[in-house]
Amino acid sequence: MVAIDPTLLTNILLIGLSGTLICLAVHFIPVGGAPAAMAQATGIGTGTVELAAGSGLVGLITASYMYAYEPLASIPLVMAAGAMGSMVMLASTMFAGGLIYAYGVAVPFASAQVKKDPITGDRQDTYISKGTQGQGLPTICFVSGIVGAALGGIGGALIYYVLVGIYGQLISATSAAAVAGVFTLGVFYVNAVVPSYGVGGTIEGVHDPKFKRVVGKDIFTSFFVSILCGLLAVLIAGGISP
Amino acid sequence: MSDVKERSPNQLLLIGIIGGLIGIYLTYILPAISMRISGNSVIMQNVSGLLNVIAPTFGALGGICAVLWGADAVRRVAKYGLGTGVPSIGQIAMGMGIIAAMFGLAIVKTIVLAGPIVALVTASILGFIVGWFAQNVIKMKIPVMIRCMTEIAASGTIIIIGFSAAVAGNFEFANIVTLVFDNGVMLAVFWVGAVAMLHPFNACLGPDEKQKRLLYLAGSTGAITMAIIGIAAIMTLGASGVLTLVLGIVLWIIFYKKFWDEVYHDASSVVGTGLIPKTEA
Repeated sequence: MVAIDPTLLTNILLIGLSGTLICLAVHFIPVGGAPAAMAQATGIGTGTVELAAGSGLVGLITASYMYAYEPLASIPLVMAAGAMGSMVMLASTMFAGGLIYAYGVAVPFASAQVKKDPITGDRQDTYISKGTQGQGLPTICFVSGIVGAALGGIGGALIYYVLVGIYGQLISATSAAAVAGVFTLGVFYVNAVVPSYGVGGTIEGVHDPKFKRVVGKDIFTSFFVSILCGLLAVLIAGGISP
Repeated sequence: MSDVKERSPNQLLLIGIIGGLIGIYLTYILPAISMRISGNSVIMQNVSGLLNVIAPTFGALGGICAVLWGADAVRRVAKYGLGTGVPSIGQIAMGMGIIAAMFGLAIVKTIVLAGPIVALVTASILGFIVGWFAQNVIKMKIPVMIRCMTEIAASGTIIIIGFSAAVAGNFEFANIVTLVFDNGVMLAVFWVGAVAMLHPFNACLGPDEKQKRLLYLAGSTGAITMAIIGIAAIMTLGASGVLTLVLGIVLWIIFYKKFWDEVYHDASSVVGTGLIPKTEA
């Protein structure tokens, strides 16, 4: 059995924290689901899990690249690399989606949840088509999405950094990266799906009233589940023979 | 639901757990038997060689049993409408499954035989906790949530261990790390396994959904996963991979034909509409 020492507890806590960050990230990303795919709701027209995982996994790739090719990389540097990767991925997704909404579907970007865009101050409600929940990606959604992607990328990079640190001492660098990467993938999916159940599939971003309503209980759930995952991850190290 | 006779959840649970575990353990036991019987006679040597070749294929067959179980569990919970689409539950299943599988196989160290059971128990606990939180903290108000989440996580872990064993030859963690993790085959197991589990209900859902049709489709997605895993196994194991690939394709054709027949049977009529006319009327 593994002896309990402060490093171990820190590692478990860090994994729990990063899982919580991923959960929080999902709430920031403007997910429209199927209605948005038909331009009948604000947000990107796909599911929470797909968006969070898509941007988070790109963050994982950039973070692992930083970790592998910069031997002196510290935690902040790896986390920044993860955040950048996720932000670039989600920004390009939202930009491409926005082009299609504006020039393909031809809808004005408007949010149904707020009367005025909190950032630009533009009026929203007059631009909403009848019978819809808003369309496209207004400025606040875009900004909120970028913030969310950064949080998700940081979370993914942090788990990876912690796990590679643990497994790297026991098995070869390639195996450690593979095992840590796959484990991160697992934690990422659990923490992307749990909050997506909380928000009920769609959320516009930080300005959505739903955000305040659900973020507390989702984060509580995610923190607990991620701590459990962290415990399992640390115990795996006890079973790996060098 | 209706007067159509359905397989009960417990029946499928038994198929998934027992079928899955038998398949997984055969990948370990058959080579052990072949080691025991490989004597001097030529026939015995041939038999033991044959056992070594067919052993990994059983892992994939066990995986198919778990796919059937998982697909039905997804069906029971997703029927209530999750609000996030069916794919999300397949992905959380694999997320929990892979964590539990890695934990279970690694933690047992030298007692290799206990690995799959420990993984199964861990997955059930993890699934139960996530299900409990979804039901009581997030308040999803789905009565079967806790039970189905437990089943889904458990079947996810059997799918992962089964198909990994088919690629790695057995389920020793060190062996799986070199043959499944290092070369990235694990990602194929993860994604294709998740789709095998979530696709049947995602494709069949609706007012006219029937369990029999869904289970045949689950069999076919499981078999096509087996075929893909067979391609990976050719890379790692050679002859066993060919067997897995061929058997996977054969099973896929059989199950898909059954599914096809069910679709024709359930449809009121099947008519050809012809091509879209060139000029609009």
